[in-house]
Amino acid sequence: MTTVPTPTPGPRQPLITAEQVNKHFGAAHVLKDVSTCFFEREVAVIIGASGSGKSTFLRTLNRLEKHDGGRIVVDGIELNDSVKNLDAIRREVGMVFQQFNLFPHLSVLDNVTLAPRKVRGTPAAKARQEAMELLTRVGLEDHALKHPHQLSGGQQQRVAIARSLAMQPKVMLFDEPTSALDPEMIKEVLDVMKDLAREGMTMIIVTHEMTFAREVGDRILFFDHGQLLVEAPPAEFFDNQRNDRIRAFLGQIVH
Amino acid sequence: MTGLLAIWPRAWPRERRSTATIFTAAVLLVAFMWGLGRLLAYAPEPIGPAADQFAQGTLVTLELTLISGLLGVLFGLLAAVCKLSRFAPLRWASGLYIWVVRGTPLITQIFFVFFALPEIVPGLELSDFNSAVAALAVNVGAYNAEAIRAGLQAVPKGQSEASRSLGLSPLQTFIHVVAPQGLKISLPPLVNNIVALLKDTSLAYGIGVVELFNQGNRLQAATFLPVPTYVTAALIYLALTTILTQVSDAIEARLDVEQRH
Repeated sequence: MTTVPTPTPGPRQPLITAEQVNKHFGAAHVLKDVSTCFFEREVAVIIGASGSGKSTFLRTLNRLEKHDGGRIVVDGIELNDSVKNLDAIRREVGMVFQQFNLFPHLSVLDNVTLAPRKVRGTPAAKARQEAMELLTRVGLEDHALKHPHQLSGGQQQRVAIARSLAMQPKVMLFDEPTSALDPEMIKEVLDVMKDLAREGMTMIIVTHEMTFAREVGDRILFFDHGQLLVEAPPAEFFDNQRNDRIRAFLGQIVH
Repeated sequence: MTGLLAIWPRAWPRERRSTATIFTAAVLLVAFMWGLGRLLAYAPEPIGPAADQFAQGTLVTLELTLISGLLGVLFGLLAAVCKLSRFAPLRWASGLYIWVVRGTPLITQIFFVFFALPEIVPGLELSDFNSAVAALAVNVGAYNAEAIRAGLQAVPKGQSEASRSLGLSPLQTFIHVVAPQGLKISLPPLVNNIVALLKDTSLAYGIGVVELFNQGNRLQAATFLPVPTYVTAALIYLALTTILTQVSDAIEARLDVEQRH
Protein backbone atom coordinates (compact mmCIF):
# COMPACT_ATOMS: atom_id res chain seq x y z
CA MET A 1 0.00 0.00 0.00
CA THR A 2 2.69 2.55 0.86
CA THR A 3 5.23 3.53 -1.70
CA VAL A 4 7.85 4.29 0.91
CA PRO A 5 10.90 2.11 0.42
CA THR A 6 12.10 -0.01 3.28
CA PRO A 7 14.75 2.06 4.99
CA THR A 8 18.26 0.75 5.11
CA PRO A 9 20.71 1.81 7.79
CA GLY A 10 23.64 3.63 6.34
CA PRO A 11 24.13 7.23 5.35
CA ARG A 12 20.53 8.07 6.32
CA GLN A 13 20.20 9.59 9.80
CA PRO A 14 17.80 7.71 12.03
CA LEU A 15 15.06 9.78 13.68
CA ILE A 16 15.09 7.63 16.81
CA THR A 17 17.95 5.47 18.02
CA ALA A 18 17.65 3.01 20.88
CA GLU A 19 20.88 1.44 22.16
CA GLN A 20 20.91 -1.41 24.67
CA VAL A 21 17.75 -0.15 26.35
CA ASN A 22 16.95 -1.85 29.65
CA LYS A 23 14.02 -1.42 31.98
CA HIS A 24 13.05 -3.03 35.27
CA PHE A 25 9.75 -2.94 37.16
CA GLY A 26 10.98 -3.95 40.60
CA ALA A 27 12.48 -7.40 40.16
CA ALA A 28 10.96 -7.90 36.70
CA HIS A 29 13.35 -7.25 33.84
CA VAL A 30 10.89 -6.03 31.20
CA LEU A 31 13.26 -4.70 28.52
CA LYS A 32 16.52 -6.50 27.82
CA ASP A 33 19.18 -4.76 25.73
CA VAL A 34 16.77 -3.51 23.08
CA SER A 35 18.62 -1.83 20.20
CA THR A 36 17.05 -0.53 17.02
CA CYS A 37 16.62 2.59 14.86
CA PHE A 38 13.56 4.26 13.39
CA PHE A 39 13.89 6.27 10.20
CA GLU A 40 11.97 9.16 8.75
CA ARG A 41 8.84 8.20 6.80
CA GLU A 42 9.09 4.67 8.10
CA VAL A 43 6.13 2.71 9.45
CA ALA A 44 7.41 0.28 12.05
CA VAL A 45 4.99 -2.18 13.59
CA ILE A 46 5.77 -3.76 16.95
CA ILE A 47 4.06 -7.04 17.79
CA GLY A 48 4.36 -9.68 20.48
CA ALA A 49 2.41 -11.39 23.23
CA SER A 50 0.98 -9.53 26.24
CA GLY A 51 3.76 -8.78 28.69
CA SER A 52 6.47 -9.04 26.04
CA GLY A 53 7.54 -5.44 26.71
CA LYS A 54 6.31 -3.97 23.42
CA SER A 55 4.13 -1.25 24.97
CA THR A 56 6.75 -0.50 27.61
CA PHE A 57 9.36 -0.03 24.87
CA LEU A 58 7.06 2.33 22.97
CA ARG A 59 6.44 4.31 26.15
CA THR A 60 10.18 4.71 26.79
CA LEU A 61 10.48 6.53 23.45
CA ASN A 62 8.78 9.62 24.89
CA ARG A 63 9.76 8.81 28.45
CA LEU A 64 6.33 7.93 29.80
CA GLU A 65 8.50 5.11 31.16
CA LYS A 66 12.08 5.84 32.16
CA HIS A 67 14.61 3.38 30.84
CA ASP A 68 17.19 2.42 33.45
CA GLY A 69 19.98 1.37 31.11
CA GLY A 70 21.14 2.23 27.62
CA ARG A 71 20.54 5.30 25.47
CA ILE A 72 17.59 6.68 23.55
CA VAL A 73 18.18 9.57 21.15
CA VAL A 74 15.20 11.25 19.48
CA ASP A 75 15.85 13.74 16.70
CA GLY A 76 19.36 14.35 18.00
CA ILE A 77 18.31 14.87 21.62
CA GLU A 78 19.11 12.28 24.25
CA LEU A 79 16.28 11.27 26.59
CA ASN A 80 17.51 11.75 30.16
CA ASP A 81 16.46 13.55 33.30
CA SER A 82 16.73 16.95 31.63
CA VAL A 83 13.23 18.44 31.65
CA LYS A 84 14.20 20.78 28.83
CA ASN A 85 15.20 17.86 26.60
CA LEU A 86 12.05 16.03 27.53
CA ASP A 87 9.72 18.92 26.70
CA ALA A 88 11.53 19.47 23.39
CA ILE A 89 11.16 15.80 22.49
CA ARG A 90 7.54 15.52 23.53
CA ARG A 91 6.60 18.38 21.24
CA GLU A 92 7.96 16.36 18.31
CA VAL A 93 6.62 12.96 19.29
CA GLY A 94 2.86 12.40 19.12
CA MET A 95 1.23 9.60 21.05
CA VAL A 96 -2.08 7.79 20.65
CA PHE A 97 -3.25 5.60 23.52
CA GLN A 98 -5.29 2.43 23.78
CA GLN A 99 -7.83 4.22 26.00
CA PHE A 100 -7.89 7.39 23.82
CA ASN A 101 -7.33 9.60 26.90
CA LEU A 102 -9.28 12.52 25.48
CA PHE A 103 -9.85 15.31 27.99
CA PRO A 104 -13.49 14.72 29.02
CA HIS A 105 -14.06 18.26 30.34
CA LEU A 106 -13.15 19.86 27.01
CA SER A 107 -15.01 19.90 23.69
CA VAL A 108 -13.56 17.99 20.76
CA LEU A 109 -12.28 21.27 19.32
CA ASP A 110 -10.67 22.33 22.61
CA ASN A 111 -9.05 18.91 22.93
CA VAL A 112 -7.32 19.54 19.62
CA THR A 113 -6.39 23.21 20.18
CA LEU A 114 -5.16 22.97 23.79
CA ALA A 115 -1.57 21.94 23.11
CA PRO A 116 -0.93 24.20 20.07
CA ARG A 117 -2.22 27.18 22.04
CA LYS A 118 -0.49 26.49 25.33
CA VAL A 119 2.75 24.91 24.09
CA ARG A 120 3.33 26.52 20.69
CA GLY A 121 1.55 29.77 21.49
CA THR A 122 -0.62 29.54 18.38
CA PRO A 123 -3.31 32.27 18.41
CA ALA A 124 -6.78 30.89 19.22
CA ALA A 125 -8.32 31.65 15.83
CA LYS A 126 -5.47 30.03 13.92
CA ALA A 127 -5.43 27.01 16.24
CA ARG A 128 -9.17 26.61 15.73
CA GLN A 129 -8.86 26.79 11.96
CA GLU A 130 -6.06 24.23 11.92
CA ALA A 131 -8.01 21.99 14.28
CA MET A 132 -11.04 22.11 11.99
CA GLU A 133 -8.85 21.09 9.06
CA LEU A 134 -7.53 18.13 11.06
CA LEU A 135 -11.01 17.14 12.20
CA THR A 136 -12.15 17.25 8.57
CA ARG A 137 -9.24 15.01 7.71
CA VAL A 138 -10.40 12.38 10.21
CA GLY A 139 -14.03 12.90 9.16
CA LEU A 140 -15.26 14.52 12.39
CA GLU A 141 -15.77 18.18 11.47
CA ASP A 142 -19.46 17.92 12.40
CA HIS A 143 -18.59 16.82 15.95
CA ALA A 144 -16.23 19.68 16.84
CA LEU A 145 -18.47 21.16 19.52
CA LYS A 146 -19.43 17.87 21.19
CA HIS A 147 -17.80 16.46 24.27
CA PRO A 148 -15.86 13.19 24.10
CA HIS A 149 -18.51 11.20 25.98
CA GLN A 150 -20.97 11.93 23.16
CA LEU A 151 -18.76 10.13 20.63
CA SER A 152 -18.25 6.44 19.89
CA GLY A 153 -14.93 4.81 20.69
CA GLY A 154 -13.80 4.93 17.09
CA GLN A 155 -14.68 8.61 16.82
CA GLN A 156 -12.85 9.34 20.08
CA GLN A 157 -9.73 7.61 18.81
CA ARG A 158 -9.85 9.61 15.59
CA VAL A 159 -10.10 12.82 17.65
CA ALA A 160 -7.10 11.61 19.66
CA ILE A 161 -5.14 11.19 16.43
CA ALA A 162 -6.16 14.68 15.29
CA ARG A 163 -5.17 16.08 18.70
CA SER A 164 -1.73 14.55 18.33
CA LEU A 165 -1.32 15.75 14.74
CA ALA A 166 -2.16 19.30 15.80
CA MET A 167 1.33 19.56 17.30
CA GLN A 168 2.79 18.65 13.88
CA PRO A 169 4.91 15.87 15.33
CA LYS A 170 7.82 14.34 13.43
CA VAL A 171 6.84 10.88 14.59
CA MET A 172 3.65 9.31 15.91
CA LEU A 173 3.57 6.52 18.49
CA PHE A 174 0.47 4.31 18.57
CA ASP A 175 -0.02 2.13 21.65
CA GLU A 176 -2.58 -0.54 20.67
CA PRO A 177 -4.88 2.11 19.17
CA THR A 178 -7.67 -0.32 18.26
CA SER A 179 -7.54 -2.75 21.20
CA ALA A 180 -10.29 -1.00 23.16
CA LEU A 181 -12.63 -0.68 20.16
CA ASP A 182 -15.64 -2.69 19.08
CA PRO A 183 -14.87 -4.64 15.92
CA GLU A 184 -17.01 -2.46 13.67
CA MET A 185 -15.04 0.64 14.70
CA ILE A 186 -11.57 -0.73 14.16
CA LYS A 187 -11.62 -0.10 10.43
CA GLU A 188 -12.37 3.61 10.65
CA VAL A 189 -9.33 4.11 12.87
CA LEU A 190 -7.04 1.93 10.79
CA ASP A 191 -8.14 3.81 7.66
CA VAL A 192 -7.06 7.11 9.21
CA MET A 193 -3.73 5.53 10.11
CA LYS A 194 -3.29 4.18 6.58
CA ASP A 195 -3.87 7.67 5.19
CA LEU A 196 -1.22 9.01 7.53
CA ALA A 197 1.26 6.36 6.43
CA ARG A 198 0.54 7.15 2.79
CA GLU A 199 1.24 10.82 3.43
CA GLY A 200 4.66 9.87 4.76
CA MET A 201 4.20 10.23 8.51
CA THR A 202 6.82 8.39 10.54
CA MET A 203 4.89 5.91 12.68
CA ILE A 204 5.72 3.36 15.34
CA ILE A 205 2.71 1.18 16.05
CA VAL A 206 2.12 -1.45 18.71
CA THR A 207 -0.81 -3.56 17.54
CA HIS A 208 -2.40 -6.98 17.27
CA GLU A 209 -3.86 -6.18 13.82
CA MET A 210 -1.75 -8.49 11.67
CA THR A 211 -3.46 -7.70 8.37
CA PHE A 212 -2.80 -4.04 8.96
CA ALA A 213 0.81 -4.72 9.97
CA ARG A 214 1.45 -6.67 6.79
CA GLU A 215 -0.27 -4.12 4.59
CA VAL A 216 1.06 -0.86 6.02
CA GLY A 217 4.25 -1.76 7.86
CA ASP A 218 7.70 -1.28 6.36
CA ARG A 219 9.24 -3.32 9.12
CA ILE A 220 7.91 -5.68 11.77
CA LEU A 221 9.56 -5.85 15.20
CA PHE A 222 8.75 -8.89 17.30
CA PHE A 223 9.14 -8.66 21.08
CA ASP A 224 9.39 -11.70 23.30
CA HIS A 225 10.05 -11.67 27.06
CA GLY A 226 11.52 -8.19 26.95
CA GLN A 227 13.79 -8.87 24.01
CA LEU A 228 13.59 -7.62 20.46
CA LEU A 229 13.73 -11.08 18.95
CA VAL A 230 13.37 -10.34 15.24
CA GLU A 231 12.99 -7.36 12.94
CA ALA A 232 12.18 -7.95 9.30
CA PRO A 233 10.13 -6.61 6.39
CA PRO A 234 6.53 -7.87 6.53
CA ALA A 235 6.79 -10.24 3.58
CA GLU A 236 9.76 -12.00 5.10
CA PHE A 237 8.31 -11.89 8.60
CA PHE A 238 4.88 -13.29 7.83
CA ASP A 239 5.50 -15.56 4.85
CA ASN A 240 8.96 -16.87 5.41
CA GLN A 241 9.22 -17.10 9.18
CA ARG A 242 11.82 -19.57 10.37
CA ASN A 243 11.57 -18.88 14.09
CA ASP A 244 9.35 -21.55 15.68
CA ARG A 245 8.29 -19.31 18.50
CA ILE A 246 7.06 -16.59 16.15
CA ARG A 247 5.35 -19.16 13.92
CA ALA A 248 3.50 -20.41 16.99
CA PHE A 249 2.55 -16.83 17.93
CA LEU A 250 1.30 -16.04 14.43
CA GLY A 251 -0.64 -19.31 14.40
CA GLN A 252 -2.59 -18.20 17.47
CA ILE A 253 -3.58 -14.86 16.01
CA VAL A 254 -6.67 -14.57 13.87
CA HIS A 255 -5.56 -13.07 10.59
CA MET B 1 -36.63 15.15 52.35
CA THR B 2 -37.05 16.04 48.71
CA GLY B 3 -35.39 19.21 47.63
CA LEU B 4 -35.59 21.98 45.11
CA LEU B 5 -34.20 19.71 42.42
CA ALA B 6 -37.50 17.87 42.16
CA ILE B 7 -39.70 20.91 41.48
CA TRP B 8 -38.53 21.60 37.92
CA PRO B 9 -40.34 20.20 34.85
CA ARG B 10 -39.27 16.63 34.19
CA ALA B 11 -38.63 17.51 30.58
CA TRP B 12 -35.74 19.77 31.59
CA PRO B 13 -32.29 18.25 31.21
CA ARG B 14 -30.58 17.51 34.48
CA GLU B 15 -28.01 20.20 33.95
CA ARG B 16 -30.64 22.90 33.60
CA ARG B 17 -32.47 21.66 36.69
CA SER B 18 -29.19 21.79 38.55
CA THR B 19 -28.44 25.35 37.44
CA ALA B 20 -31.99 26.44 38.28
CA THR B 21 -31.62 24.92 41.73
CA ILE B 22 -28.32 26.63 42.48
CA PHE B 23 -29.69 29.95 41.25
CA THR B 24 -32.89 29.59 43.27
CA ALA B 25 -30.95 28.60 46.38
CA ALA B 26 -28.80 31.73 46.04
CA VAL B 27 -31.91 33.90 45.67
CA LEU B 28 -33.51 32.16 48.65
CA LEU B 29 -30.44 32.82 50.78
CA VAL B 30 -30.43 36.53 49.97
CA ALA B 31 -34.21 36.74 50.53
CA PHE B 32 -33.83 34.88 53.81
CA MET B 33 -31.15 37.25 55.06
CA TRP B 34 -33.20 40.27 53.97
CA GLY B 35 -36.47 39.07 55.44
CA LEU B 36 -35.29 37.39 58.62
CA GLY B 37 -35.26 40.44 60.89
CA ARG B 38 -38.56 41.71 59.50
CA LEU B 39 -40.20 38.30 59.92
CA LEU B 40 -38.92 37.68 63.44
CA ALA B 41 -40.20 41.11 64.51
CA TYR B 42 -43.74 39.66 64.33
CA ALA B 43 -42.83 36.81 66.66
CA PRO B 44 -44.14 36.94 70.28
CA GLU B 45 -41.97 37.71 73.31
CA PRO B 46 -39.11 37.16 73.81
CA ILE B 47 -38.14 36.71 70.14
CA GLY B 48 -39.95 39.67 68.57
CA PRO B 49 -38.13 42.43 70.48
CA ALA B 50 -34.79 40.64 69.83
CA ALA B 51 -35.38 40.20 66.09
CA ASP B 52 -32.58 42.57 65.12
CA GLN B 53 -30.07 40.75 67.31
CA PHE B 54 -30.97 37.42 65.71
CA ALA B 55 -30.68 38.92 62.24
CA GLN B 56 -27.34 40.49 63.15
CA GLY B 57 -26.06 37.21 64.63
CA THR B 58 -27.14 35.29 61.55
CA LEU B 59 -25.24 37.73 59.36
CA VAL B 60 -22.08 37.20 61.45
CA THR B 61 -22.54 33.44 61.21
CA LEU B 62 -22.83 33.69 57.44
CA GLU B 63 -19.79 35.96 57.22
CA LEU B 64 -17.74 33.54 59.32
CA THR B 65 -18.85 30.70 57.06
CA LEU B 66 -18.19 32.40 53.74
CA ILE B 67 -14.83 33.98 54.60
CA SER B 68 -13.36 30.96 56.37
CA GLY B 69 -14.96 28.68 53.78
CA LEU B 70 -13.23 30.49 50.90
CA LEU B 71 -9.90 30.60 52.74
CA GLY B 72 -10.38 26.97 53.68
CA VAL B 73 -10.71 25.96 50.04
CA LEU B 74 -7.45 27.78 49.25
CA PHE B 75 -5.69 26.12 52.23
CA GLY B 76 -7.11 22.78 51.19
CA LEU B 77 -5.95 23.17 47.60
CA LEU B 78 -2.47 24.17 48.75
CA ALA B 79 -2.21 21.31 51.24
CA ALA B 80 -3.53 18.79 48.70
CA VAL B 81 -1.01 19.86 46.07
CA CYS B 82 1.77 19.65 48.69
CA LYS B 83 0.58 16.22 49.76
CA LEU B 84 0.89 15.01 46.16
CA SER B 85 4.22 16.76 45.59
CA ARG B 86 7.31 14.88 44.52
CA PHE B 87 9.25 16.98 47.04
CA ALA B 88 9.20 15.01 50.30
CA PRO B 89 9.41 17.93 52.81
CA LEU B 90 6.24 19.42 51.29
CA ARG B 91 4.47 16.07 51.71
CA TRP B 92 5.60 15.89 55.33
CA ALA B 93 4.54 19.47 56.09
CA SER B 94 1.13 18.87 54.56
CA GLY B 95 0.74 15.54 56.36
CA LEU B 96 1.66 17.17 59.68
CA TYR B 97 -0.89 19.96 59.12
CA ILE B 98 -3.71 17.54 58.30
CA TRP B 99 -2.77 15.19 61.14
CA VAL B 100 -2.66 17.90 63.82
CA VAL B 101 -5.77 19.76 62.72
CA ARG B 102 -7.95 16.69 62.28
CA GLY B 103 -6.65 15.16 65.50
CA THR B 104 -7.43 18.07 67.83
CA PRO B 105 -10.79 19.62 68.77
CA LEU B 106 -11.86 22.70 66.84
CA ILE B 107 -12.63 24.60 70.04
CA THR B 108 -9.03 24.05 71.16
CA GLN B 109 -7.82 25.50 67.87
CA ILE B 110 -10.09 28.53 68.19
CA PHE B 111 -8.97 29.21 71.75
CA PHE B 112 -5.35 28.61 70.76
CA VAL B 113 -5.45 31.22 68.00
CA PHE B 114 -7.20 33.78 70.22
CA PHE B 115 -5.35 33.29 73.52
CA ALA B 116 -2.11 31.42 72.87
CA LEU B 117 -0.94 32.73 69.51
CA PRO B 118 -0.38 36.34 70.69
CA GLU B 119 1.91 34.98 73.42
CA ILE B 120 3.94 32.93 70.94
CA VAL B 121 4.02 35.64 68.29
CA PRO B 122 4.26 38.98 70.13
CA GLY B 123 2.47 41.78 68.33
CA LEU B 124 -0.01 39.47 66.63
CA GLU B 125 -3.31 40.62 68.09
CA LEU B 126 -6.25 39.26 66.15
CA SER B 127 -9.77 40.38 66.97
CA ASP B 128 -12.20 37.72 68.16
CA PHE B 129 -13.82 37.60 64.71
CA ASN B 130 -10.50 37.32 62.86
CA SER B 131 -9.24 34.68 65.28
CA ALA B 132 -12.34 32.64 64.64
CA VAL B 133 -11.98 33.03 60.88
CA ALA B 134 -8.31 31.97 61.04
CA ALA B 135 -8.99 28.91 63.17
CA LEU B 136 -12.06 27.85 61.18
CA ALA B 137 -10.24 28.29 57.86
CA VAL B 138 -7.25 26.29 59.03
CA ASN B 139 -9.60 23.62 60.37
CA VAL B 140 -11.82 23.22 57.32
CA GLY B 141 -8.73 23.52 55.11
CA ALA B 142 -7.39 20.24 56.51
CA TYR B 143 -10.63 18.43 55.74
CA ASN B 144 -10.79 20.08 52.30
CA ALA B 145 -7.24 18.96 51.63
CA GLU B 146 -8.26 15.33 51.88
CA ALA B 147 -11.32 15.88 49.69
CA ILE B 148 -9.28 17.67 47.04
CA ARG B 149 -6.42 15.17 47.21
CA ALA B 150 -8.86 12.30 46.66
CA GLY B 151 -10.42 14.15 43.71
CA LEU B 152 -7.07 14.89 42.08
CA GLN B 153 -5.97 11.29 42.53
CA ALA B 154 -9.20 10.03 40.99
CA VAL B 155 -8.25 11.59 37.64
CA PRO B 156 -6.93 8.68 35.54
CA LYS B 157 -3.17 8.62 35.00
CA GLY B 158 -3.76 8.47 31.25
CA GLN B 159 -5.02 12.06 31.38
CA SER B 160 -1.72 13.50 32.55
CA GLU B 161 0.18 11.11 30.27
CA ALA B 162 -1.79 12.38 27.28
CA SER B 163 -1.21 15.97 28.32
CA ARG B 164 2.51 15.51 28.97
CA SER B 165 3.01 13.66 25.71
CA LEU B 166 1.43 16.62 23.89
CA GLY B 167 4.24 18.73 25.33
CA LEU B 168 2.35 20.50 28.11
CA SER B 169 4.52 21.17 31.17
CA PRO B 170 3.66 19.65 34.56
CA LEU B 171 2.15 22.98 35.67
CA GLN B 172 0.10 23.36 32.46
CA THR B 173 -1.04 19.76 32.83
CA PHE B 174 -2.22 20.50 36.35
CA ILE B 175 -4.00 23.73 35.45
CA HIS B 176 -5.67 22.65 32.20
CA VAL B 177 -6.19 18.91 32.59
CA VAL B 178 -5.94 17.48 36.12
CA ALA B 179 -7.32 20.29 38.31
CA PRO B 180 -10.56 20.91 36.35
CA GLN B 181 -11.42 17.22 36.46
CA GLY B 182 -10.21 16.57 40.00
CA LEU B 183 -11.90 19.59 41.57
CA LYS B 184 -15.17 18.56 39.94
CA ILE B 185 -14.91 15.23 41.72
CA SER B 186 -14.05 17.06 44.96
CA LEU B 187 -17.01 19.43 44.78
CA PRO B 188 -19.63 17.39 46.66
CA PRO B 189 -17.40 16.65 49.69
CA LEU B 190 -16.20 20.27 49.62
CA VAL B 191 -19.76 21.59 49.83
CA ASN B 192 -20.48 19.12 52.62
CA ASN B 193 -17.46 20.49 54.49
CA ILE B 194 -18.88 24.01 54.10
CA VAL B 195 -22.24 22.88 55.51
CA ALA B 196 -20.42 21.37 58.49
CA LEU B 197 -18.41 24.59 58.79
CA LEU B 198 -21.62 26.64 59.03
CA LYS B 199 -22.60 24.73 62.15
CA ASP B 200 -19.06 24.80 63.55
CA THR B 201 -18.99 28.61 63.44
CA SER B 202 -21.12 28.44 66.59
CA LEU B 203 -17.96 27.49 68.50
CA ALA B 204 -16.71 31.04 67.91
CA TYR B 205 -19.12 31.87 70.72
CA GLY B 206 -16.41 30.60 73.06
CA ILE B 207 -14.11 33.56 72.38
CA GLY B 208 -16.93 36.10 72.39
CA VAL B 209 -17.85 36.43 68.74
CA VAL B 210 -21.47 37.56 68.71
CA GLU B 211 -22.78 35.18 66.10
CA LEU B 212 -26.14 33.45 65.95
CA PHE B 213 -25.69 30.98 68.81
CA ASN B 214 -24.17 33.64 71.04
CA GLN B 215 -27.14 35.93 70.37
CA GLY B 216 -29.55 33.17 71.33
CA ASN B 217 -27.53 32.40 74.42
CA ARG B 218 -27.46 36.04 75.50
CA LEU B 219 -31.21 36.33 75.10
CA GLN B 220 -31.69 33.17 77.12
CA ALA B 221 -29.50 34.54 79.88
CA ALA B 222 -31.49 37.77 79.94
CA THR B 223 -34.96 36.25 79.74
CA PHE B 224 -34.53 32.80 81.30
CA LEU B 225 -36.64 31.43 78.43
CA PRO B 226 -34.45 28.68 76.96
CA VAL B 227 -37.12 27.00 74.83
CA PRO B 228 -38.04 29.82 72.40
CA THR B 229 -34.52 31.23 72.21
CA TYR B 230 -32.70 27.97 71.40
CA VAL B 231 -35.51 26.78 69.13
CA THR B 232 -35.28 30.02 67.14
CA ALA B 233 -31.48 29.76 66.83
CA ALA B 234 -31.74 26.12 65.81
CA LEU B 235 -34.42 26.87 63.19
CA ILE B 236 -32.27 29.57 61.62
CA TYR B 237 -29.29 27.16 61.43
CA LEU B 238 -31.60 24.56 59.92
CA ALA B 239 -32.84 26.99 57.28
CA LEU B 240 -29.28 27.94 56.33
CA THR B 241 -28.00 24.37 56.13
CA THR B 242 -31.10 23.35 54.16
CA ILE B 243 -30.41 26.02 51.56
CA LEU B 244 -26.73 25.02 51.34
CA THR B 245 -27.65 21.35 51.03
CA GLN B 246 -29.79 22.20 48.00
CA VAL B 247 -26.66 23.54 46.35
CA SER B 248 -24.65 20.41 47.13
CA ASP B 249 -27.47 18.17 45.87
CA ALA B 250 -27.64 20.18 42.65
CA ILE B 251 -23.89 19.86 42.13
CA GLU B 252 -24.02 16.11 42.68
CA ALA B 253 -26.88 15.76 40.21
CA ARG B 254 -24.90 17.67 37.63
CA LEU B 255 -21.88 15.39 38.06
CA ASP B 256 -24.07 12.33 37.76
CA VAL B 257 -25.06 13.41 34.27
CA GLU B 258 -21.58 13.04 32.91
CA GLN B 259 -20.78 9.87 34.76
CA ARG B 260 -23.72 8.15 33.11
CA HIS B 261 -22.24 8.54 29.70
